[in-house]
Amino acid sequence: MIQGVTDKYWLFGAACLLIALILMRLLFRERITLQGSMSFLGFLMLLGLMAIAPTTTQRIANQLGFTLMSNFFFCTAIAALAILHLRALITLSRVHLRTIALTQELAILQEKLERSLPAREEPRSSDTRAS
Amino acid sequence: MRVLLIIPAYNEQQALGGLLSEIQALPRTDGVQLEALVVDDGSSDRTAEVAQAAGARVLRLCRNLGIGGAVQSGLRLAYRENFDAAVQIDGDGQHPPSELHSLLAPVREPNAPDLIVGTRYRSKENFRSTLLRRLGSWWLRVILRVLARVRVSDPTSGYRVYGPRALRLFDETYPYDFPEPESLAIAKAAGLKVSEVPVTMRERQGGTSSIAGFSTIYYMFKVTIAVALTYMRALRWKAKTDDSRSD
Repeated sequence: MIQGVTDKYWLFGAACLLIALILMRLLFRERITLQGSMSFLGFLMLLGLMAIAPTTTQRIANQLGFTLMSNFFFCTAIAALAILHLRALITLSRVHLRTIALTQELAILQEKLERSLPAREEPRSSDTRAS
Repeated sequence: MRVLLIIPAYNEQQALGGLLSEIQALPRTDGVQLEALVVDDGSSDRTAEVAQAAGARVLRLCRNLGIGGAVQSGLRLAYRENFDAAVQIDGDGQHPPSELHSLLAPVREPNAPDLIVGTRYRSKENFRSTLLRRLGSWWLRVILRVLARVRVSDPTSGYRVYGPRALRLFDETYPYDFPEPESLAIAKAAGLKVSEVPVTMRERQGGTSSIAGFSTIYYMFKVTIAVALTYMRALRWKAKTDDSRSD
């Protein structure tokens, strides 16, 4: 019965391949970074391999105590998505904090520059008058 | 004594002009040199122009950072330009500049506190805030007393004075989520002296508060977690700093 179910997983593999292709296209167009998408690519590859090699996957699933392979697929996907989400959250928080610091630095530098510009311009105008 | 007045402002063009005029009209105090700095927190109105026209220094943040990010920008500038103290004052007109004298008085005393909070609950002349808000404030007082051992009667007050040690601390670390109560926990964990001074506060002169109605309850839930985490983080940060200094 389990074999009957696993035979149908090629569709799942094709979906993984499609998402991987979209990811590659985004990478090629520099819309996303390779560093940031490596874990996602790894996750897709894992799910794709599970789909195209159902016998091995079934063996692993049985050893881990799963009677239905779909449950194993489901659990793996949820765990991988949770890890990916956590990783994205960490990256996002780092970027957010960095953006705050940069925004503050930019504002402080801009204010300093605006204050120093009139002071610099004044002697120049007096120089012109003197000449 | 050079004092920087930090005025965080987000779309406060209506209230800001009046506030800056009030600051300019303050009687000169011997030895105190006040400088007003408006931190325009990515406003979409003419906040920055109004501030500049009134003769204040203006920090223009290119995006909205929220009150924590805006205040820290001012504190960073005060620290880098070696100000002796900085006063945080709301741009919505809630904090009368006439109270600056009372707030700054303890700074000039020997053994001055590092962080002075202006409290509205110790003065009878103050306006009465909503029941939910007062309840929230009470809960925060309890949380801060139990978790961080800080005794402040108005933990959400944004009318404060930062001394040199506080400026140094908050240049390095400042909370962005719930800055007022969290910064008290940080200050306490870092070993700063926190005190309070009764001040009169007014109702907002314009705009609306972001905390109102039942969102106060959700705010309290979030802020409780935030204060606990911040206090633990600050304790760890202090231990690390002490270790690196002793090395």
